[in-house]
Amino acid sequence: MKPIEITDIDVSYGAKKILEAITFHADAGEILGIVGPNGSGKTTLLKAMTRIVARDNGEIRLDDRDLDSLGHRELARRVAVVPQDISIGFDYSVRDVVMMGRHPYIGRFASETARDVEICDHAMHLANVAALAGASVHDISGGERQRVLIARALAQEPTILLLDEATSNLDVSHQVEILNIIRDLAGEITVVSVFHDLNLAAYYCDRLLLLKDRKVYAAGAPGAVLTRENIREIFGMEMLVKPHPLTGKPYVLPVYMHQSSAGANRRVHVVCGGGTGSDILHLLHAAGFTVTCGVLNVLDTDYGTAMHLGLPCVAEPPFHGITPESLSGLRKCLESADAVIVTAMPIGKGNLDNLRVLLDYPAKPVLFYARDHSTRMEDCTGGEAGAVLANLEARGALRVEGAEELLARLSRDGSDRD
Amino acid sequence: MRRTAPIIIATLICVLLISMAAAVALGPSGIAFGSLLTSDNAWMILWEIRLPRVIAAALVGCGLAVAGTAMQALFRNPMADPYIIGTSSGGALGATLAIVFFAGTGRTVLAFAGAMIATFTVYFIARRGGKIPVETLLLSGVALATLLSALLSFLMYTAGKSLHQIMFWLMGGFWNISWNDVVVALPILIGGAGIYLFARDLNILALNEEDATHLGVNVERAKQILLALSAFVTGIAVAVAGSIGFIGLITPHVMRLIVGPDHRFLFPAAALAGAILLVWADALTRTFTSDMPVGILTACFGAPFFIYLLRSRMKA
Repeated sequence: MKPIEITDIDVSYGAKKILEAITFHADAGEILGIVGPNGSGKTTLLKAMTRIVARDNGEIRLDDRDLDSLGHRELARRVAVVPQDISIGFDYSVRDVVMMGRHPYIGRFASETARDVEICDHAMHLANVAALAGASVHDISGGERQRVLIARALAQEPTILLLDEATSNLDVSHQVEILNIIRDLAGEITVVSVFHDLNLAAYYCDRLLLLKDRKVYAAGAPGAVLTRENIREIFGMEMLVKPHPLTGKPYVLPVYMHQSSAGANRRVHVVCGGGTGSDILHLLHAAGFTVTCGVLNVLDTDYGTAMHLGLPCVAEPPFHGITPESLSGLRKCLESADAVIVTAMPIGKGNLDNLRVLLDYPAKPVLFYARDHSTRMEDCTGGEAGAVLANLEARGALRVEGAEELLARLSRDGSDRD
Repeated sequence: MRRTAPIIIATLICVLLISMAAAVALGPSGIAFGSLLTSDNAWMILWEIRLPRVIAAALVGCGLAVAGTAMQALFRNPMADPYIIGTSSGGALGATLAIVFFAGTGRTVLAFAGAMIATFTVYFIARRGGKIPVETLLLSGVALATLLSALLSFLMYTAGKSLHQIMFWLMGGFWNISWNDVVVALPILIGGAGIYLFARDLNILALNEEDATHLGVNVERAKQILLALSAFVTGIAVAVAGSIGFIGLITPHVMRLIVGPDHRFLFPAAALAGAILLVWADALTRTFTSDMPVGILTACFGAPFFIYLLRSRMKA
């Protein structure tokens, strides 16, 4: 028996379909995240699970009971909802609001018992609001109010907890605090949460349900759902998906692509390494240049960037000098390039050949690029690299600082030549 | 809950009893305490005129305050009052019909019928797919009230001699109240008790309806029952005393400031305060004016208070 089993449900508002043929389940004690773009029906799906919106057909089973067979109070004893920050018009105390969670247990002619008070105390303790019990809900912060709503939900002693973007309006520190509380509760309680933030969803959820255009597009472990292809398809935008450096969970970064055509039909080759070239690889690519780069080793950050951007790159395995094959690859790139950019990278024996080879192309415009005035090329060869650089400069290589100057210089060179 | 709430309620009970006793003693024909035993006339004034009148005023004030409290929570709008969904305009039309066509006979019955019919008309206009959205309910109330007041104006225009009687009734007051009227007003207590049973639901409904559903409140059914009970209580109040404004608006407000928003304490506190207010308003008008309609006095104090509330809410 699964705590939540949803089979083939459709929901519509009037003639407008909001959800179509949704089927999924939640396993006991897991956190299931619902993600998807605005308007994909995430919140409506939660509302269907508590009968706030009626479904057209399909079945919803909660704890092996048909949703339609549950009375209002029975449902509230099984399923609790933490909404987005709600405005509370009247001046209730924190304890008043948490005690409302006991409503489905207290009869119309009864009043709360010592046990109800005990359960509220425990819920406030779990949600870390016990110290606020006497405070007015008007006098506490948004993050605290959200924790009060979690305490209220816990006072319902639910087996299923639904969160509707419960942390979306909060600072990141409060989001993490609240989601840590939820993470601790999972195991005993099955949690289904709508997330706006893909990275929070990837970190906190055991499984994700990705919605697109009213339907389930993908479901499964975060790593299987949040793939680059899925995200491109769903959000219509390029994103980098990498393992988070600390948690190893998928981490999604938008690629901020501001397209222009300044570099149309022009080729540049970038000699870089150690992450010194990532910014301009991206920039030049976005500006429409045909970009090549190398020689890089495959563990280099810049190599990763080139791969994400889909740029051709001459590469070597790690801790390997530059082989003759790579060198001829580099030469091919250099021959077809309109300009060569050398970034302010550390130069050692391993990558010195990248520079030395430039001496064979005296007519190629060469630009030494530094992000700002504090970045310099670092000579780790004991003077050998310095000599090559001096030689290149003597032949007309220019130092440029900052991306703007680089782009300006590249476009000037282009017009000179025309 | 605030720990002071039970003390405040106990205090209000004492104040109400004292007020009612004082109101019975007050009046244009000064009655010496000693004359009660000797003069049949004095006894009659006290027993047949003042006492029923004071009790009726207390019941009506209590009913308006309770219905107002329920409306404010139900509509999540502290500006709501018991007349907001057409109850008073329906009652007014019913009473006017009785005055114009039956020389006042059956005024109470027709006023009550008018109030209930108007309320349910508003309810059914606003109802859609088994639900009654609060906004639609308010707007339907305004729309129907406009229509009814047009009909009322037409009746008054054609009323001729009875116009004075209609005007008096519309302004609200407690003339010619007998023990019969007290009996008519008594069900207010039953309706009020019914509303009180929903105190905890209203605490939760005051957050928002979706939230209330999540906490196990059957929102639509609670709304139906509370609207019906409020209309019933208000309808009786209107039938007995015409439409007396602002008691149902102000009392819940002031009491919410004093005992807090928990309806389990707010209802009794507002009920008692409403009764006290109307007992005094009636006692003062009949003693110091020549029985001016008490609605004029409550409006004189109520409207500026309403404006003050509006201004302070705009600031917040």
